[in-house]
Amino acid sequence: MIRIEHLSKDLGEFFLRDITLDIKDGEYFMVLGPTGAGKTILLETIAGIYRADSGRIFLDGQDITDIPPRERNIGMVYQDYTLFPFLTVEENIAFGLKMRKVARSEIKRRVDELANLMGVVHLLHRYPGTLSGGEQQRIAIARALIMEPKVMLLDEPLSALDPQTAERLRQELKNIHSITDTTTTIIHVTHSFEEAFLLGSRMAIMNKGEIVQVGTPNEVFRKPNSEFVAEFLGVGNLFQGESRIDADSGIASIDVGGINIVSATLKSGSVHVSIRPEDILVSTKQIVSSARNSFKGKIAGIVDAGTILKIAVDVGIDTPFVVAITKRSFDELNLKMGREVYITFKASAVHLF
Amino acid sequence: MLKKLKHSKIKAITVLSSLFLAIFISVPIICVVTHTTLSALMTSLASEEIQFAIRLSLETAAISTIMCIAISVPAAYALARYDFFGKSVINTILDAPLALPPLVAGVGLLILFGTTSFGKALADAGLVFVFTPYGIVIAQFFVNVPFMLRILRGTFQSINPRYEHVAETLGCTRAQAFWHVTLPMSKNGFLAGSVITWSKGIGEFGAALMLAGATRMKTETLPISVFLNMSCGELDLAIAAATILIIISLISLFAFERYGGFAQVF
Repeated sequence: MIRIEHLSKDLGEFFLRDITLDIKDGEYFMVLGPTGAGKTILLETIAGIYRADSGRIFLDGQDITDIPPRERNIGMVYQDYTLFPFLTVEENIAFGLKMRKVARSEIKRRVDELANLMGVVHLLHRYPGTLSGGEQQRIAIARALIMEPKVMLLDEPLSALDPQTAERLRQELKNIHSITDTTTTIIHVTHSFEEAFLLGSRMAIMNKGEIVQVGTPNEVFRKPNSEFVAEFLGVGNLFQGESRIDADSGIASIDVGGINIVSATLKSGSVHVSIRPEDILVSTKQIVSSARNSFKGKIAGIVDAGTILKIAVDVGIDTPFVVAITKRSFDELNLKMGREVYITFKASAVHLF
Repeated sequence: MLKKLKHSKIKAITVLSSLFLAIFISVPIICVVTHTTLSALMTSLASEEIQFAIRLSLETAAISTIMCIAISVPAAYALARYDFFGKSVINTILDAPLALPPLVAGVGLLILFGTTSFGKALADAGLVFVFTPYGIVIAQFFVNVPFMLRILRGTFQSINPRYEHVAETLGCTRAQAFWHVTLPMSKNGFLAGSVITWSKGIGEFGAALMLAGATRMKTETLPISVFLNMSCGELDLAIAAATILIIISLISLFAFERYGGFAQVF
């Protein structure tokens, strides 16, 4: 278990301010925030690369605030892989065990085992410079995992990869507990909400060096505690459901607990569905259009969000739809609480993940 | 058509200028190498005096290069990685020998080691720099250390500190991270820095002349040998020494181009 108490660190451009966090054993914890929020220096301070200006860090009850990185048993993986370019893949993965002066035969065995699990056996004799980003990141993960760390720190490990590679590696990270023993705690930093939602058992939102909210992805998403969090997540409508692909029409139909949403994204099984509030049209009469999704509901809430209004439309499922409209449209349509309206959106506006 | 002609005129003039420069630089070099016969050159090279000069030059340059590395590695690391009070002043001072005439540097060193109590204390301890081969080493060190420092500083700056961070999480101390990760990654910088410092050390004349003097068979390095033998009309010996200096410069130029392309020297 990691316990961070009132941690502060000032590096000038980047800083941490009074960070307090509790992360449980074996948890996959996400830290989400915009660029410059201090996510990387939080990881680097946990790893011991920077000394905290104030505050304490505990790992399994032991105060590790002042001990050097090598004694912490915390692994680190950066976005840009940082593989040692003058060593082969095999030597890279073996690096830590060699520093620990583990017997050569044992190193060989462990390297082979991890290379196998990370699917990089065929690359062992190559140099990192000749490999793709995805391959390098797998090796970087293997190099950290071979130390059997209590905690793995992942600093935007998927951000530099192309979407397909990132997706595949994300699946593997999700199952990382089957590679490690199950008590390895993972702290994964990202700026992608999607990643946080899919991987994290809990997440923290960071902004300007501070933690602004902690909770399960669902909690944070449903109940953002500040303007910033709501704005930063910005997705608007999020549902969970079962998706089936209709081969004839080439669309996916998702049952989200009462209504069927049609999406142009072809993905089956258990999925998350998101629709941006700006992509939804509201009308007082049912309209005939090419849009495949149209539902009847009642206005259950109206929020003034500055230049636009956000209205909540209850269509008879657990969560209402959030729709963004201009003030002028709001006036012209003569909308008010409880009024019956229709919402309409295109299948291509429905994002599945 | 007119435009094209105008353009080609400019091209012709500029290309001719570069050609002229290339000829102007190669001709004197060729003059030196072709001035004597091959057999006369061989005889001179075999002479005791030139043999001594070669050995003294190689040794002093090797020692001063090692000294440059020993002090430049930590200094360059600090200047590349840390921010501290007075850093820019130190950077400027460390570059000064690049701009200072070596002769003037030599005078300064002579005054320091010859007249001050610091110099006398060193002399009493057995370290005599005035008019000795030690003086040659110190002179070479003083004049050439900025080259090593600048190349290594540039090299360390180009290496992301995250490599060391990762190494630390993999069980290294700070020093081990530097030794096992940053040093191997600086290989080209070391090679380029050593070659340029060593070859400039071999060619060092002004500062060494002031501090170590020009004593035949005692402080006679290759450039001093050229100077001494030209002064007393021993042209064959002077040319033998000069030829070796030319060969060493060409080799080091080639090595530097090959390995040091990235390093920022000036």
